[in-house]
Parts: sequence; structure tokens; C-alpha cells
Amino acid sequence: MSKSMKMGMLGLILVIPSFLLLFVIVVIPIALSFVESLRNEAGGFDLSRYQFLFTDKAMRSNIIFTLKVTVVSCLIVLIVSYSLAVYMRFSSGRLVDLIRKTYMIPIFIPGVIATYGLINLLGNHGWLSRFLLLIGITLPRIIFDEKGIIIANLWFNIPFTAMLLSSALAGIPNSVLESAKDVGAGRLRVFFQIVFPLSYKTFLVAATFVFMGVIGSFTAPFLVGPNAPQMLGVSMEQVFGVFQEREQAAAIAFFTFLLCSVLGYFYIRSMVKDETARS
Amino acid sequence: MIQLKKGLTVLSALALTSSILAGCGTKADNANSNANASSADASAPASESSTSPASDKPVEFSFYFTGSQNVKDMWDTLVPKFEEQNKDVKVKLVYIPSGTGAQPTYDRILAAKQAGKGSGDIDLYEDSLSNVTKGGKDDLWDTLSLDSIPNIGKINPKTMENVSNLAVPYRASAVVLAYNSDKVTTPPSTLDELYEWIRNNPEKFAYNDPTTGGAGSSFVTTSIYKDLPDEAIYSTDPAIQKDWDNGFATLKDLGKYVYGKGIYPKKNQGTLDLLANGEVDMITAWSDMVLEQTAKGQLPATTKMKQITPGFNGGPTYLMVPKLSEKKEAVYQFLDYVMSPEAQGVIVEKMHGFPGIELSNMPQEIQDSFKGVSEGFRSFNIGDLDKEITKRWQSEVAAQ
Repeated sequence: MSKSMKMGMLGLILVIPSFLLLFVIVVIPIALSFVESLRNEAGGFDLSRYQFLFTDKAMRSNIIFTLKVTVVSCLIVLIVSYSLAVYMRFSSGRLVDLIRKTYMIPIFIPGVIATYGLINLLGNHGWLSRFLLLIGITLPRIIFDEKGIIIANLWFNIPFTAMLLSSALAGIPNSVLESAKDVGAGRLRVFFQIVFPLSYKTFLVAATFVFMGVIGSFTAPFLVGPNAPQMLGVSMEQVFGVFQEREQAAAIAFFTFLLCSVLGYFYIRSMVKDETARS
Repeated sequence: MIQLKKGLTVLSALALTSSILAGCGTKADNANSNANASSADASAPASESSTSPASDKPVEFSFYFTGSQNVKDMWDTLVPKFEEQNKDVKVKLVYIPSGTGAQPTYDRILAAKQAGKGSGDIDLYEDSLSNVTKGGKDDLWDTLSLDSIPNIGKINPKTMENVSNLAVPYRASAVVLAYNSDKVTTPPSTLDELYEWIRNNPEKFAYNDPTTGGAGSSFVTTSIYKDLPDEAIYSTDPAIQKDWDNGFATLKDLGKYVYGKGIYPKKNQGTLDLLANGEVDMITAWSDMVLEQTAKGQLPATTKMKQITPGFNGGPTYLMVPKLSEKKEAVYQFLDYVMSPEAQGVIVEKMHGFPGIELSNMPQEIQDSFKGVSEGFRSFNIGDLDKEITKRWQSEVAAQ
């Protein structure tokens, strides 16, 4: 056996466990729920469950609502986290130290507790509204509204995203930045031509994480979201647990999976491009 | 060499992931094995006592029950008291946390019967009216008589008649109007008066999302069946659905006047929170939750309850003895104890539920605390139509 063949064998053996794991806990459930979702009320197979997703008025508004909340949350999370990461990377001082020490705290607070905290803080009779009332401002409705879900998503996602991005930014050597400055590049030019391209890949990873986390979220949308339209996760639970229509719930789940895989496709494509460029 | 090292790292990472995943697996299994675990707990002291030199071996029977933590706490208090008085009987408590396995317990009894295996080692079972009726049709429950359980005589005879003596209603709770008596001086006493109050006091009334809790669901069901014949609430016939239109139209219209112009908080607790922080002045709620939270100070002391006529949904929780159980004598002894005023007092204190026996058998102060709310509720028994109501509510009322 040649050496390269040996290495190839070893590679295969190493891949098999993770492949099996993936197969059992990801591929099979997806396939099963896809089959389940094709079953119509009469017991036959067709696309009626998917047709319902797009023809039922309430369901359609659920999908639009979910996408809207997800996209808005993603944009705000990425903008805030990236600014935070850039600020932490290129500034110094006591404020930066303080931010660096504290920005991870939300990660360690359980989701349900944080959500109830938000309800107490931002509710109609919450602390914030009581403070604002003193200076004569009435707080708009945040809890039981999409604003509440978005704020909760920010709380849950910003710390981790900022952590990812700041580790990417930390990987950019100072020498590169300094030499760019030496040849006369302005701050904006350094950012757009060096800093952003060098952290672009991590940015994409972060975007994928946030998107998938938000689109499948349940706790916060369930507790602080409106009764209708609902996020897909909440609707899925209702269809499955209350209406007990397993096939319809499977269809929603599979549709959510498709939405996520669109983003996954772009992510993988950029990874593959990168790999081929390297070799 | 480097490659190999890399391989090792990957391998160890894999091992780690799979062990973590395995950990998750056992956690998920926990709920299922819980029943076994708790039965093991319960059987341990029993086997100890059987090896002790006591002459008679006590009869041990298994009692399957489900519910929230407060139900478990209650039985954990009651059973030792019973065992102290009745040395010859041991109760093996098997707690099925709510939402995980009530249906399977029923299915187990049925399956054991069909397989000719007696009662499947389940000697006493607790559930709501729907499973009492269901088990009546499947001929699963033993008919209970006054001779074997004298304390049955303290129960309202009509309640026993409703379930053909197949089950003992040992406690009850009902959905009531809970209101802040500082703000509301004359609470409504009929559904029409309630609608009027809601329209006159915009955003001061809330009921919870009926898909997430019984208090809201009861308000919705009561509204839908308002103008229907009295016996409609016992009908599971889908043909009745066409008569729901009026009720849904009312609910849709009320949407403009309820809290937040159409916000229905999640879970029974969601509306209680709103009442507690003063955002609303009146809600529908379970009587036991209101009593418990007022006692603990989570709700202001000015919180009062009122049942309307015709009443909201409510009803007893029942204990049933599987017909094929081999330890009926011991179970009867236990049931007789549960229905005694002493045990009922514990149930009232622990659960804030209404006693299963008639109030006149209870001490005066307990009678007083239930004034006006312990009667007048109705037991809806509409089977799967419940699901249709929530579905239609979601699409017509919530998403209007």
C-alpha cells in the first residue's frame, strides 16, 4: 500500500464517525419530516401541506413576519457587533476595557430569565416606561410586538457575534495596517480595502449563525411576540402541540430548513471558493 | 506525524461531541424514565419494611398521577399521613410530570386489558373528565359503591351520577373572573354584563391565548356556546361547528377592547402577571392559581374572584380504579381517606382547589374562602372540538 493510499484510508476512517453522526441526527430526521410533510389529509401523498403554507392568509403573514424579523435582527446584530468589534480592536482606554470585560455577560444568562427580564424592563408598566413617564414620554408598545422580539434577538446574538468578529479582527496583523498607512492610505481606505476583506469570511459565518438562530427561535417570540402574525417556531409549536397536525408542522419545519439552507449554500460556496483559491 | 496528530485531535473532538450528544440523549430519556425512577424510590422503603419483623406484609398499590409540582407536593404530604393511620397499606406514588405522559398511562391501562394482563400494575389513576368518559366506554373503571368507600356519601350525589360512580372527584377548580376590587366595585355577573364592562373599560380586560391555557380557552368556549342550547356543552358532534359563528363574531369585535387592542398573553400566568402589575383590572383565571398567588402576596390583597352565570368552565379532577386491579381493597381504603374532611383540608390548603366533598362537611373558614366561586361552574365536555375552536380562534380572532 502506498503512503498516499494509507493517508487516504485514515482520512476516510476519520470522516466516518462524523458522517454517521450527521446522518443519524440530521439527514434522517430531515428526510423523515419531509416524507411526513407530503402526506395529505386523506393519507395520500401530495404537496397540499406546502400549498397551505402559501395560500392560508395567516400562514403567509407568519412567513413574511418571520423573514422580516430575521432580516432586521440580522442587520442590526451584524452592524452593532461589527462596530463593537472594530471599536474594541482599534481603540484603547478604560471604556474599551470595560466593554471588553462585560460584553459577554448576556451569554451566561438563561434565555427564559432574560426574556422575563426584558418584559419587566420594557413592558407597559415596566421600569423604563416609569422613568420615561417622569420626563413626559410615553413608551410605545415593545412587549407583545415585533420590536420586543427584535430587541430580545439583539440581546441573545450580539455578544457571540461580537466575540466571533473581534477574534477575526485580532488576527489582522498590525504591520499590514501600519504599512498601508505609511503609503498614505486614509482610515476609510484601510477599513474597506484591508480590514473588511480580511474579516469578511468570519462576517459571513457570523451572519449564518445569527440568521439560523433567529429564524428558529422560540422562547422570546413565544413570550414577547404578538398573537398573530407569529414567528415560524411559535406557529410550528402551535400546529404540532395544540392543533396536533403533525404533517403540517413537518411542512413548516421543512420550509424553515429550506430557508436556512439557502444561506448555508452561500456560506459553503464561499468556503469552497476559498479552499480552491488556496491550493 | 503532523497529519496523525491532526487526526488524533479530530478523533478526540469527535469523541467529545458524541459523549455530549449521548448526554443529551439520556437527558431526553429522563422524562420517560422518571416514572421508573420514582417508582424505584417509592418501592425502596416498602421493601425495607417488608423485611422488618412486622408480622403482616403491607399491601402495596401503585398510584399514577400527573400534574404540576403542586399536585406532587400534595400527594407527598397526604400519603405519609395515610400510611401512618393504615399500617397495612403502602402507596407507591408514580408521578408523571404534566405534558409528558398522561395519555400513555391511559393507553397502558387499555393495552394491559386488551393483552389480558390485568391492569398493567396501575391500581389507581388520576385524570380529568374526558378520560373518565373514555374509560367508561372502554369498560376500564371499577364501579365504586358507598359500602366499600363510606366517605363517597359526602360528595354531591349529582357529581357521582354524572360519572356513573366510576370515579371519585377528589378536588376541583374552576375558571373565574379575577378582578382588582379597588378599581371594580360592581363586577359583572353575566356574560353580557361582562361584554358591556369590557367595552366600557377599553384595554382593562385580558384573557390569555386559548391555545396556551385553560383560563383563556374557557372564556372563548363560554362565549361561543353562549346562545347555544344547554346540552350543547356535552356534545362532541362536529355538526355544531356551524353554530359558532355568532360567538366568534363577538370575540372578534371584543378584540378592539381587550388589553392592548388585541393582545392575548401566553399561558394562564400571563394574564395574572398583568393583573398583578396593574395593567388590567379584570381577567379570567383559574381559581386555584388566584387563591394561591393572593396567599403568597404575588397578587395584591385587593384581588377578588367572581363566577358569572352561566358559569365558566371548571370541574373536578377524578380518581379512577382500574377494574382489573388486584388490590382494590387497599385502594378503597386509600380513597376513603382521601375523601375524609381531614385529607380534603390538606388538599384545600396545598392546592387551593375546591374540596371534592360538599362544602358543608368542611370547617367554616374554608367554606367562607370559597364563597361565590365554588359553585356555578360548568363542566364542558366537547372532546376534540376544543382543537377546532383554538384553530379557528387563531385564524379569525388573533389574526384579524
